[in-house]
Amino acid sequence: MKKIMFSGLIILLMAPVLYSQELTGEDIIKKVNELFDVESGYAKAKMTIMTTSGQKRTFIYESWSKNKGEKNLVRYLEPRRVKGQATLMLNNADDIWMYFPRTQRVRKLASHAKKQKMQGSDFSYEDMGSGDAFTKDFNSKRLKDEKMEGYDCYKLELTRKPDGDVSYSRLIMWVIKENFVPVVIDYYDEDDPTLWLKRMIESDIRIIDNIPTAMKVVMYNKNDNTQTELELLEVKYNITLDDSIFTERSLKK
Amino acid sequence: MKKWISLLVFLSISLSALGAQDKVELFGYFESQIMVAEIKSKFYQLYNNKLRVDLKSSLSDNITFAANFDYITFHGKTTWNILDFLAPNVTSEVPEGMESFYVLPFSNRHFLDNAYIKLSFKHLDLTVGKQQISLGTGYVWNPTDVFNIKELLDPSYEQPGHNAIRLDVALGPVYTLTTLFSPEDTWNNSAKLIQLKGRISHFDYSLIAIEKIWRFHNYTQFDMDTMNFLELPEKRQLLGASTAGELLGLGIWVEYGYNWMENTENFYELVVGTDYTFDFQTYMMVEYYRNTLGKTNYEQYNLNDWMRLMAMEQKTISRDQIYSFIQHPFTDLLNIGIQAIYSISDKSFALVPTLNYSLSENVDIMAYLNFNFGKEGTVFSRTMGNGGIARVRVYF
Repeated sequence: MKKIMFSGLIILLMAPVLYSQELTGEDIIKKVNELFDVESGYAKAKMTIMTTSGQKRTFIYESWSKNKGEKNLVRYLEPRRVKGQATLMLNNADDIWMYFPRTQRVRKLASHAKKQKMQGSDFSYEDMGSGDAFTKDFNSKRLKDEKMEGYDCYKLELTRKPDGDVSYSRLIMWVIKENFVPVVIDYYDEDDPTLWLKRMIESDIRIIDNIPTAMKVVMYNKNDNTQTELELLEVKYNITLDDSIFTERSLKK
Repeated sequence: MKKWISLLVFLSISLSALGAQDKVELFGYFESQIMVAEIKSKFYQLYNNKLRVDLKSSLSDNITFAANFDYITFHGKTTWNILDFLAPNVTSEVPEGMESFYVLPFSNRHFLDNAYIKLSFKHLDLTVGKQQISLGTGYVWNPTDVFNIKELLDPSYEQPGHNAIRLDVALGPVYTLTTLFSPEDTWNNSAKLIQLKGRISHFDYSLIAIEKIWRFHNYTQFDMDTMNFLELPEKRQLLGASTAGELLGLGIWVEYGYNWMENTENFYELVVGTDYTFDFQTYMMVEYYRNTLGKTNYEQYNLNDWMRLMAMEQKTISRDQIYSFIQHPFTDLLNIGIQAIYSISDKSFALVPTLNYSLSENVDIMAYLNFNFGKEGTVFSRTMGNGGIARVRVYF
């Protein structure tokens, strides 16, 4: 689920003039995909995990992305326990490196590591990655339109392609008709397409640098009864980023 | 005592002055640990407290100064007689009257672990001073790392700093050339390293050459000049390579080092590892390690082998071993796992259940138990005793 949301950024293009009746599932998902086609970006985000025991864990991190999300760097600022830890994802998260400042070691991770929870949150590294998974790894079918979170939405069913490299067999997505924001996404088990695992809800959509952006994203984990909230504290789009930021040398800085 | 107070005063003044500047960070951790070991049906305890204070200052956009100071206190059983752990055929090698020298003391200590300045430019980084040197792709063993030996049961614990001048030059977006010089008393005795790191497809790889004096000891001879066991320094030249990537969905890493020794026999080390994360979040790793310096028959292990192993002068004394680790996040705060280490050469093994728990935002608890199941005289012999560690760490 590479493309779902890098750093909590849900980016929208200006609403195109389209006639909903003419749109197929593939047309709609292409429009959703275009939301991520921002050349580069920077975000500072707060991630709050509500654990099963009701405790909270809060992380603050900065992230940089380039080439429409093909290159990503995430660096933790808080808490002290993880400060300086960094993750570099290249080639749409097919190549991942993690840096641990205590040991000053960079470790190359295989793609299976994307299934791991990010800092114990309800987001996996795969969820946080970037790319074009919606179109590359899924077939899209339009279902009957529905109202969701107060918006008139297209409802889509995305089923994994036979060669799809994702950990979910199926997604159900509600896309706001007005701006193509995927306001709610339901995730289903890799092997059992009827087993509902997680629900992501996006809210507080603001226009930043002319790009509609969801400032808050919550992932509810149905199995574990936990939730993780991502809140954007700062966002910038189409900034100048040198390629040297996305290297192993830069990870250690 | 006076010296210690002066040092504290100096540190507090320096840190306060630096703290007053912009872009200065003060952080670190406090760690309290208890180790329990069962030896010959008796339980012994060793406690230690560690305070680590880190300082990082960005003096300008391209100049960084970083340092850390460690203070460690030990309590409980602070002297361990190594001979208690060894088989009678090994202890019989101890020269008469020297039994009291085979004691491992744990004394309070404080030291400047790292202190370095880093100059960063567009295509190069120059790091000068005491710094960590991390080499290789292996998780538990690193054939290309002649500077450090990891703790077998706790391989991700931080390594000490080494005095060095290091230059990293970026050769394009993918390749990096590293040269390192770690000065000793003469140029000839100083360590030198050159490494080329790069990437082909989804694999990282590196080629490395190192020259370093390896400081073995002869643990059957005492040197009255140094009041220590006799040191046998020997030049070691290493040529190695490592890689890490993905094959058939599995994480794969390989690390190899061939060592030319000045006086003793040449040897090589090899690590091959793989890991995988299942859909249900369980993580599994297996790493194989061969060290031809190690022996194939445990009856050949002698006193020097054991002492060098315990003094962390060499990585293993058996030739072939396998480390495996499986871990599952039972809750979002609790990870439980088990390590199994099997010495193929002497057919002994150890099981090490582990636990990691996040008590609060900046407080972690880590614990493990270790159970040995080998014959007497093997690496994981039952007579080595069972034991465990519990550690709480508070970050600030």
